[in-house]
Amino acid sequence: MQPTIKPAGDSALLVSFGEVIDEEVNAKIHAIADAVEKANFEWLVEVVPAYSTVYVFYDPLKVSFSEVREAIEPFLQVSPESFEGRLVEVPVVYGGRYGPDIGFVAEHNGLSVDDVIEIHSRPTYRVYFLGFLPGFAYLGGMDERIAAPRLEKPRLKVPAGSVGIAGRQTGIYPLESPGGWRLIGRTPLRLFNPEREPPTLLRPGDIVRFVPIDESEFREPYEAEWGEGDD
Amino acid sequence: MIELLNVPSLLTVQDSGRRGYRKLGVPVSGFMDDYSARTANYLVGNPGDAPLLEFLLAGPTIRFRASGVFAVAGDVDLRLNGAPIEPWMSHWAKRGDVLEVGALKGRLYGYIAFAGGIKCEPLLGSCSAYPKAGLGRPLKAGDVLNLGYAILTGKDGRYLPPELRPDYSAKEKTVRVVLGPNLDHFTEEGIETFLSEVYTVTPESDRMGYRLDGKAIEHSEKGAGIVTDAIPTGAVQVPANGKPIVMLRDAQTTGGYAKISVVAAADLPLVAQSRPGERLRFEAISVDEARELLIRREKTLMAIRDFLDGKMRAYRIMAGGEELIAFTKVERRG
Repeated sequence: MQPTIKPAGDSALLVSFGEVIDEEVNAKIHAIADAVEKANFEWLVEVVPAYSTVYVFYDPLKVSFSEVREAIEPFLQVSPESFEGRLVEVPVVYGGRYGPDIGFVAEHNGLSVDDVIEIHSRPTYRVYFLGFLPGFAYLGGMDERIAAPRLEKPRLKVPAGSVGIAGRQTGIYPLESPGGWRLIGRTPLRLFNPEREPPTLLRPGDIVRFVPIDESEFREPYEAEWGEGDD
Repeated sequence: MIELLNVPSLLTVQDSGRRGYRKLGVPVSGFMDDYSARTANYLVGNPGDAPLLEFLLAGPTIRFRASGVFAVAGDVDLRLNGAPIEPWMSHWAKRGDVLEVGALKGRLYGYIAFAGGIKCEPLLGSCSAYPKAGLGRPLKAGDVLNLGYAILTGKDGRYLPPELRPDYSAKEKTVRVVLGPNLDHFTEEGIETFLSEVYTVTPESDRMGYRLDGKAIEHSEKGAGIVTDAIPTGAVQVPANGKPIVMLRDAQTTGGYAKISVVAAADLPLVAQSRPGERLRFEAISVDEARELLIRREKTLMAIRDFLDGKMRAYRIMAGGEELIAFTKVERRG
């Protein structure tokens, strides 16, 4: 695997292994990102790994693009260490007012609602990286049998903790935001809390398992995370 | 301590932004126009990155609950206890004084800096508001803000002459960009369109990004979508409709639209200060040229700081028929 290196403006350098979604490539990406971070370059601002790319943000007042390229080149050879992600169980109330689109997802795929819950909660999902919104995890591993198109018109307000499906992806909204994913359930867990260190529940490399719970089991963990009050 | 009596528009606390949390999905945030914001801080003797107030289009009315020194960056009518005072100048306010900040001319964002900075508890290393994630919130009438401690001697009466102020009043601005990194998602004709057409800032623009209207940019057979990756500040994304979006301080950290270019860091304020209806032209430069622009800009900002600190003198000179400002060090004998 030979990456390409390109400038992305005057303050970032892009290392790319091509446009692929692949667990092995992603492991390599995280190994490079960690190695560059640990090298503690005084010009380094931050490193952002994604599926198959690493963006290295630097201070152009201190260093030029070609100097950054030269400095990080040795790290492109690092091999991913055997990395054991944490298993994070995410309780989810499926359907009802928490997952108003679960019927659509079932119908679209010729399944029953129970099938959708079963297919969604059986596998484990790998966190490829975080991005888009604070604490949002890009998860790999969703079964294609429950894939569903996005809403034609996005909702103006999706509650925090909503679990959705968009195409062949699944994910959890960490914050209340507009959104076009098909909502199938909701977790009482808080995915982003700026007052916590680290502020995100999930980290790259973690393994996520969705655990179906009843509505009656939602309130207590919800209040533990969010405090009292209506959701 | 200051109290906000009237807040007519978006008003937030900002500093130079949040570093190191992009990989958790947290945007950088910070000053939309870092050049003006830093100048405002230098006017009151603060470090350039001190927290201050950023307002959109029109400023607040503020009552000083304790005396302090302040300055406003932006061409705007200011009144202290009803009497007009100058922007781009630091002023002393006594306890009980009321400052009214009017509507900006020729720009979108203005800055109010206070000697000592606005005191705040940083969240994830910064005081910059990013309300969406519970990091600060837009300020409203009735809010009371604490100011940091400051030695006030000689901090008022500092003045930045018009020649040294950034000018964003042109209705058509040329913005320099570094092409890429996803050029393979565009046809040669698409890239040519981007660099030769004029794009208009639309009203669907905020701290996240500015949507532009103009001739559609043609994608290659690879299409508008990329496998999601990071978004640098100033990235110009082109979704399927071919209309570019310039991503700014509160932009989401990752995205799936192809990026045709990234705005040179030195020209980000120029974009940020463009109002809906104003026009942008894009000019491609190399990454080294973009860096050179930023280094030159930094030298100017340092000279402005030293000038305001009384360590430099500024001269107006003619060079090759062009009027320039030159700085010289003030010699101290002793």
